[in-house]
Amino acid sequence: MFKTTESVRSSLAGEKYIASREICTALFLAEGMGKPILVEGPAGVGKTELGKVWAAATRRRLIRLQCYEGLDESKALYEWEYGKQMLYTQLLRDKLQQILAQAATLGEAADRVAQEEDVFFSERFLLARPLLRAIRAEEPTLLLIDEIDRADAEFEAFLLEVLSDFQVSIPEVGTVRAATPPAVLLTSNNTRELSEALKRRCLYLFINYPSAEAELDVVRLKVPGLAAELAKQAVAFIQKLRQMDLKKHPSVSETLDWSRALLMLNAGQLDEATLDSTLTILLKHEQDVLRARRAFEAERRRAAEAEEMDPEEMLRRQLEGGDEEPSWQPPRRRRRGRDPRFNDPYRRSGDGEG
Amino acid sequence: MVDFVHALRASGVRVSLAESEDAFRATSRVGVAEREEFKSALRLTLVKEEHDLPTFERLFPLFFGTETPPTLDALGEMGEEDLERFMEALQRLLEKLGPEGLRRLLENLLGGKSLSPEELEALGRQAGLEMASRPSQAPWMESRMQRALGLEALLEALLDLLSELAAQGMSQEALDRLAQTAGMNREAIEEQIRQAVGQAIARRMREEYENQEPIDEIMDRPFRGLGEREIERLREEVRRLAAHLRSRAALRHRRSKKGKIDMRGTMRANLRHGGVPIVLRRKRRVLKPKLLLLCDVSTSMRHCAEFMLTLIYELQDQVARAKSFAFINRLVDISHWFEEHRPQKAVARVLRALPPGSYNTDLGASLATLWRDHMGHIDRRTTVIFLGDGRNNFNDPRLDLVEAIKGRARRIVWMNPEAPYLWGTGDSDMPAYTPYCDALHEVGNLAQLARAVERLFEYR
Repeated sequence: MFKTTESVRSSLAGEKYIASREICTALFLAEGMGKPILVEGPAGVGKTELGKVWAAATRRRLIRLQCYEGLDESKALYEWEYGKQMLYTQLLRDKLQQILAQAATLGEAADRVAQEEDVFFSERFLLARPLLRAIRAEEPTLLLIDEIDRADAEFEAFLLEVLSDFQVSIPEVGTVRAATPPAVLLTSNNTRELSEALKRRCLYLFINYPSAEAELDVVRLKVPGLAAELAKQAVAFIQKLRQMDLKKHPSVSETLDWSRALLMLNAGQLDEATLDSTLTILLKHEQDVLRARRAFEAERRRAAEAEEMDPEEMLRRQLEGGDEEPSWQPPRRRRRGRDPRFNDPYRRSGDGEG
Repeated sequence: MVDFVHALRASGVRVSLAESEDAFRATSRVGVAEREEFKSALRLTLVKEEHDLPTFERLFPLFFGTETPPTLDALGEMGEEDLERFMEALQRLLEKLGPEGLRRLLENLLGGKSLSPEELEALGRQAGLEMASRPSQAPWMESRMQRALGLEALLEALLDLLSELAAQGMSQEALDRLAQTAGMNREAIEEQIRQAVGQAIARRMREEYENQEPIDEIMDRPFRGLGEREIERLREEVRRLAAHLRSRAALRHRRSKKGKIDMRGTMRANLRHGGVPIVLRRKRRVLKPKLLLLCDVSTSMRHCAEFMLTLIYELQDQVARAKSFAFINRLVDISHWFEEHRPQKAVARVLRALPPGSYNTDLGASLATLWRDHMGHIDRRTTVIFLGDGRNNFNDPRLDLVEAIKGRARRIVWMNPEAPYLWGTGDSDMPAYTPYCDALHEVGNLAQLARAVERLFEYR
């Protein structure tokens, strides 16, 4: 499908998606080697979006399977459409009776019904769920399995079987094999550890928050009306927020929402009033908002003080080392939420001390 | 690449055979011309955990170097006249320089030749390269080899040469080009050294990895007989073990045979039978056990306790609630450590906070504290786990309290690192405690410990 990684990049750019080199290589290899990609990373960095643009860029039909706890085969693979079967038996009652009327004995009647039972357990009454749809599809498809970590381990094992040979056996109908194996993209928010077997079969792509430059590119592409200077300020501000110790860091999608809001408000620059009124677009927890406000308050105060002070005084202070007011420090991290894996300082540092 | 995979494994990244095969296939697709793509291809196929990414980033430059600048020939582009002047000046300089090695190096630097493998090897010997076996030693080794090569002295000489040429009236442009080429060639030589160091370290890492005792054998050896190095390897193994146990425990979450009927599930499952409930679906019971651990962390028990705590807390998502206490002569609630830190780190902190020494192990007194302050944590769903050798220094074993705990708790499990034939010898109160226990496990080594922990998830 793709000749080089460069062609991946340009066709993704055509779908308004800025892909890093790593992402391009991943898609290139996935297409070439026929392997699924497992994407992990914090929420809102465009994991699902990647699936959508991949499908669009390669003209595949996107089939999405959203995972949740308790998802099982009947909802992911196929189900018999009982209601339709009943309806048909009702409608075909006359015909059935006709057939049965010729039967002399009960046994013969049962045989005749049995002869016709294929009618009722045929593909006509098969309700294909995403997995089966992806396998049966005539045209090339992209199977997007979203948030696989939410499904149970059992389902994961089942999925593994399907992904390994792209065929499904339905007892009443027979084996269905994929004519063209679908491309597969799995996303995970890492709320639980996935099995090694699944990871072994996939290319593993970790998407982190983008760098300032990359994020600025995204903002420019998606919110073209925003003034260049303001976009730069906004991205710098968000990058600063991500450094802070917050319950939930603003994601790329929130950056875009915020940029759009700034555009609608017709803001000229990031002043105090604008920030105050729009901060809740970025931060979704009361405490986070308070914490960010406090931090920036302190920063503004320091900046103001620095402006008032004469240069000599400032130099002296710097040399003496801020005995005046301790600079703002993030408070110590407490355990929180269900998912300690992201933004967990102990993990990121590679457990050096232990 | 094979060496690279081995080094990854030696650094604790799990790479299966299938994955290294994928890496070969992937790299043959992207080729090696584009370095970043080559690197991405390796990373995508070999590293499957977020926390292994830093290891990969650290090792990659050791094996495949950073971008190698091509060596250039400064002399080829020079004009006839300049060249003559240059050769004369060079000749004079070389006579001054003396040592043979330096002279050749200068020629290399200007003529765009790289070091030969023999030269590199000799340099490595001089710098003691065979001592290095860790990636962190690479920068140090590089600087040693550069010094052995005499790059610093050479730069001085080069400056002399340039000023002399300038004095003789060589054009500024030609001088600049000469200086620039020499600088780039110097970088190339440094890069060559860097790669040589990286490869040597990689080779050593691989050798060490291959000479290691298989981890299975260490797992079967008693904790008491292990050296620090082996303990270190077991620590790495524990995390894998936990992942393994977790998937086994999770797979055991099958549909239960008892419990309330799940109406919605049953209807859905029986649609194919015309709504006649032939198959019953039941509500999934909460099958996760509640654990309360009492760990003896006295000197003889430390490693065992360490691995036990790590395992339990790595498996936290399979446990409804875990509360843990450590004791030597008194009881200490250590649960809060685990709420704040990752398991391995928390265990290290606990052990540091409760240093070994000549305490008087006293389970009886510890039980009294538990009874007084923490009985609220024990209810009929709790499994109480004692981890200890039952050696009480002839203190009162407080069997009455164990009996009371048994009355409240769901089960009592005792894990003892001593072999059963030692139970009851000396100050061991094990036989006295035995009647109150629902299960007894010998956990003298990691393999036994892992089995015992797995059993915890079997009875729910």
